[in-house]
Amino acid sequence: MPASPILEMRGVGKRFGGLQALQDVSFEVRRGEILGLIGPNGAGKTTLFSTLVGLHRADAGAILLEGRNLVGLKPHRIARLGLTKTFQNVALFMDTDVLDNVVIGALLHHPLPEARVRALACLERVGLANIAHKRAGDLSFPERARVEVARALSTEPKMLLLDEVMAALNAVEMAEMMDLIRALRADGLTVIVVEHHMKAIMALCDRIVALSFGRLLAVGLPDEIVRHPDVVTAYLGRAYAE
Amino acid sequence: MPVAAIAAALIVPLGLDGDGYAIRVIALVFLFAALGQSWNIVGGLANQISLGHAAFFGIGAYTSTRLLIDFGLSPWFGMLAGGVLGGAAAALISLPTMRLRGHYFALATLAFGEVMRVVANAWTGLTGGPVGISVPYSAPGLWMLSFKGTLPFYYLNLTALVGVTAVFVGIRRSAFGYRLQAVREDANAAEVVGVDTARIKIQAAVISGALTAMLGTLYAQMNFFFDPDAVFGAAPISVRIALIAIVGGIGTAAGPILGAILIVSLEEIANVLLSGQVAGLSNLVYGLILIAVIMIQPHGLVALGPVFRRPWRVPAVDAAK
Repeated sequence: MPASPILEMRGVGKRFGGLQALQDVSFEVRRGEILGLIGPNGAGKTTLFSTLVGLHRADAGAILLEGRNLVGLKPHRIARLGLTKTFQNVALFMDTDVLDNVVIGALLHHPLPEARVRALACLERVGLANIAHKRAGDLSFPERARVEVARALSTEPKMLLLDEVMAALNAVEMAEMMDLIRALRADGLTVIVVEHHMKAIMALCDRIVALSFGRLLAVGLPDEIVRHPDVVTAYLGRAYAE
Repeated sequence: MPVAAIAAALIVPLGLDGDGYAIRVIALVFLFAALGQSWNIVGGLANQISLGHAAFFGIGAYTSTRLLIDFGLSPWFGMLAGGVLGGAAAALISLPTMRLRGHYFALATLAFGEVMRVVANAWTGLTGGPVGISVPYSAPGLWMLSFKGTLPFYYLNLTALVGVTAVFVGIRRSAFGYRLQAVREDANAAEVVGVDTARIKIQAAVISGALTAMLGTLYAQMNFFFDPDAVFGAAPISVRIALIAIVGGIGTAAGPILGAILIVSLEEIANVLLSGQVAGLSNLVYGLILIAVIMIQPHGLVALGPVFRRPWRVPAVDAAK
């Protein structure tokens, strides 16, 4: 099944002072795939996400979304082009209710009355319509992660970056979240997930990108990645040994 | 409740001396409540604590007064011109300051207000300098915003307060209000889901600055005379406006109104009771009371709870009991 790339990274680099957080990272994301992004802590996964959505500006290379270079665009412009992300530490507006948290994303493409309808539909999509009027700060962690997903969905993205949405979920919740991600892909969304849980990554992803110290280690099918000697040395070896 | 409050405010003067002290104090409460409400658009909805709103207030006061002196122009046009200049000044200052957070934003805006005060004191050709400037006498009437007594300003200030409050409530319920509140909660998260945070902040600053400047015209017409320290001053204007909103309840429509009632009346009481005996003691007492309010109820007077809120929102509930 040859799929055209929706996103291309070409030699992307990002430096913070003396730290080279990303160096010469190049890979493609195929339209409609679920791509896993793995690597030890500090490998640059979250930095990569932040650079993709424009919260950091890449200082080398190009990021092409459907052929258009995103480098230098502000996050709201990139969101309008159809690329958004969730936040690893959950960045909800805690003092407002769940629905209002999602409405803000729906306002990107719709005026207010309709944005509320769309937002409610997104909450339904993630299974949270029943708590639409709860205060976001009162939610459990798994619920917050879902609200994050709903808010991202409300911007009607083509591509969605999920930063550890399965962290702190139990096995049942994790399975539900994986079902949701698969369903979103079935709707035509392209998804990149950062996760530490290797079983989830293996079960969920079509392909995997491995990073270490800001460099690309390997790209391939899940089976290839787990056997890749560099990946085993840098990441899996240690993880499996524990 | 808002309707009842407005009705009460309309009726109150009937029992008072139209040129008396009480009417003047209440008129000041309305003016400062309106200023607190304009400030609330930036300070409350976006949580950018400006301590420089005197800059816009002074621009408004001097613009209309200058146009009146030099061209005999009606203060209503002066108010519009002042609003435009105040909005433009707010846009200019928000460009370099909007990335600043918390104390840094407060300090930068405080410095901006002080710079305006110093410039106004030095630029005597325009402002009259420290000697002050007199608003020329016009034949009494609404067109020239000139009256013999205080009562017309009571009603004008009340109208301004209702108008600015309506703007605040309208913004808070609009898509723009959603975006402002998202910027307040988490600017990065707001950007990533499509909010142009820079544009939103500038728009809010322009609306807030323009309204503040327009209220400056009302102040000038009501006082006949003012100097740079009175309209550009940090303590009498910038800090006072911010405190009124913060003490009353930041980000709420009722907050600046409650705050203005408390602070303006406290100041008057302190002045009457204390200033004759020990100069400066009134400011100290005023400061202590503010500290007490902020420590005891950091969310402001509106958070005092059901006492204030229930009858405001659902009078039917109490009536049914």
